[in-house]
Amino acid sequence: MAGWLVVLVIGIPWLGALLVWLAADARPRLQHFIAVLFSVAAGIVSLVLFSYASSQAVLLVSFAPTFGDLTFVPDGLGVSLTAISAVIGSLAVLFSVNYMHAEKQLGRYYFLVLFFIGAMNGLVLSGNFLFIFFFWEITALCSYALISFHNDDPKAVAGGMKALIITQVGGVGLLTGALIAFVNTGSLQVSALFSQAAEIPLNVLSVIAFSFLIAAAAKSAQFPFHTWLPDAMEAPTPVSALIHAATMVNAGVYLLARFYPAFAPVPGWKTAVMLVGLISALTAALMACTTTDLKRTLAYSTVSQLGYMVYAIGVGSVTAAQFHLLSHSIFKALLFLSAGAIIHSIGTRDMLRMGGLSAKMPFIRNTFIVGALALMGLPILNGFWSKELILEMGFEHSPLWAYALMLLGAGLTAFYTFRMAWLVFFGEQRAQHEVHAAGVAMKISLGLLSFGAFTSWLVFGGLNNLLSRTLPFHKLEQESTLDVVQALLSAPTTWLALLTIFLGCGVFWFVRKKSTLAYKPSLVLDSSFGLESVNGWIVRSVQAFSKVFQITQTGQLNWNIFGIVGALLGILLVLWWGAS
Amino acid sequence: MNLTPLNIVFWGVAGLFGVGLYGLLITRNLIKVVMVLQILVKAVVLALVLGGKISGNLGLGQSIAATVIVVDTIVAVVGLALAVQVRRRFGTLDVSEIDTLRG
Repeated sequence: MAGWLVVLVIGIPWLGALLVWLAADARPRLQHFIAVLFSVAAGIVSLVLFSYASSQAVLLVSFAPTFGDLTFVPDGLGVSLTAISAVIGSLAVLFSVNYMHAEKQLGRYYFLVLFFIGAMNGLVLSGNFLFIFFFWEITALCSYALISFHNDDPKAVAGGMKALIITQVGGVGLLTGALIAFVNTGSLQVSALFSQAAEIPLNVLSVIAFSFLIAAAAKSAQFPFHTWLPDAMEAPTPVSALIHAATMVNAGVYLLARFYPAFAPVPGWKTAVMLVGLISALTAALMACTTTDLKRTLAYSTVSQLGYMVYAIGVGSVTAAQFHLLSHSIFKALLFLSAGAIIHSIGTRDMLRMGGLSAKMPFIRNTFIVGALALMGLPILNGFWSKELILEMGFEHSPLWAYALMLLGAGLTAFYTFRMAWLVFFGEQRAQHEVHAAGVAMKISLGLLSFGAFTSWLVFGGLNNLLSRTLPFHKLEQESTLDVVQALLSAPTTWLALLTIFLGCGVFWFVRKKSTLAYKPSLVLDSSFGLESVNGWIVRSVQAFSKVFQITQTGQLNWNIFGIVGALLGILLVLWWGAS
Repeated sequence: MNLTPLNIVFWGVAGLFGVGLYGLLITRNLIKVVMVLQILVKAVVLALVLGGKISGNLGLGQSIAATVIVVDTIVAVVGLALAVQVRRRFGTLDVSEIDTLRG
């Protein structure tokens, strides 16, 4: 039964993707209908999958005797992330019905979105390295193609290329780590790495661990690879909400959480993870303070919040990281979709050209502010509980200076979130816009996400129970929601964090005039502390390298046949050489 | 060189295959490309029968050869249909002028 559910949760979106494509662009209403139907069906199946969560493999795929059976394992990590991607995926698709109504080529859009949802579900449910790598690369491909969806816009094409190349660095890291693990354990199963981690020589294990850290940092847009995410904001906004906030960028955090028990003994690994999270959280928060593009601000804030999760894993609290991942997916999807509704209504992303929109779009204002308060971490929204849990864990298990810097990050978060909400909705109106109201589909998905932002922290006990029950190697403690609520409310760190948050808001209140009138972009922050040039160098050198091989693509049939025959001869030579 | 029947067939296969390959490398007319492909496949059909004879599974070799003949006919038909379409779209059958896949 569980095996069938795994097949369905991957297969339904993929089948929907095929049908949307077959429905053809001449029938947009049918395409919208199919996309919503199949994504909602996948969302429902992903929720049913919760009751079948176990640490055992439920689906075996016989591949080749050398590699053994390839498995899918619906454990707590996999099931919870499947639910996040499928449910938020269905809400983003629902939102797209209004957002994309006038677009041409809906088939391509929905095909890629549904293909992505299925691949993301496959990625988190896979129990072996081969499938993890396959699905990992499919998500990167969909992300690239959706960033460049408006392929007549050079900025969109460049952003897509950058995302593809930088995340490929992570893909190479994953492949390297997985191959070394395969050579040393003799199995592609993830569980084999856990059970044999003690027998692998420590230096080999540390190579695997750091390769995976590179993979995670590139995928989750963490330091030093974080510069692709802001450029990815050229994608249609529902895509930004789904892929670049709620799901795909979580894959890196997922990878670290999944392999934490195997890599925790590697000296320096936990510290490195903690530092990557810390630097990302802090620098991205600083950059978010000066950006004037609404979506870029949200992108930097995503990097910063992902930094909190990575930091939580670095201090050894996988539960806190997963809890914040759940909260962040909901409130960041809410913020992005609200931003999408604003952009759709007034047609600009520049916050300096907004202001005073509060009275014109009250519904969007309310949902946006719910998301913003959750991002700041104010009670009783879900962001409060999960961020406080991370800070509490950081206080207990990391050096005091690291905790202090994360606390500073929380203050900066409050600062830029307040600034963002202020620039968009309050103050004077800085430009005239023709505002048209949000559609019904938009309101439904925003309403549901707002409800989630208020209530999702109540599932903490269930999530914790699920994780500790189905992840035998992680050795997590069991805690109920009530335990955590009591622990957090009685901890001094919580009140300290709240004080910092209010301080951040207060500081913005006093400098609010400067954020519009005397605004000067900061060169240091705009270039991501110089990392923009490093990332740009990676992208440019890959493109220069491929230019060299461009001459082999002549488009001439005879040359292509020559290449085929040459390759055939090469293979025959290798076989002959191997046989003799 | 000892000219047994097997040897003759072997050299026939090699010769036909060589002619086909050479033709594929130099032919420019799309119709001729389809014809040259036919020659190449005939070499393969002959090789299958030869392989069947050498390994002692003559029946197997022959049945695969018969299958290849059927498939090959379809390939030729589709190839010619494509040639017609190419002629309509590009106005030429010269493959050196059809290079829209150039990098």
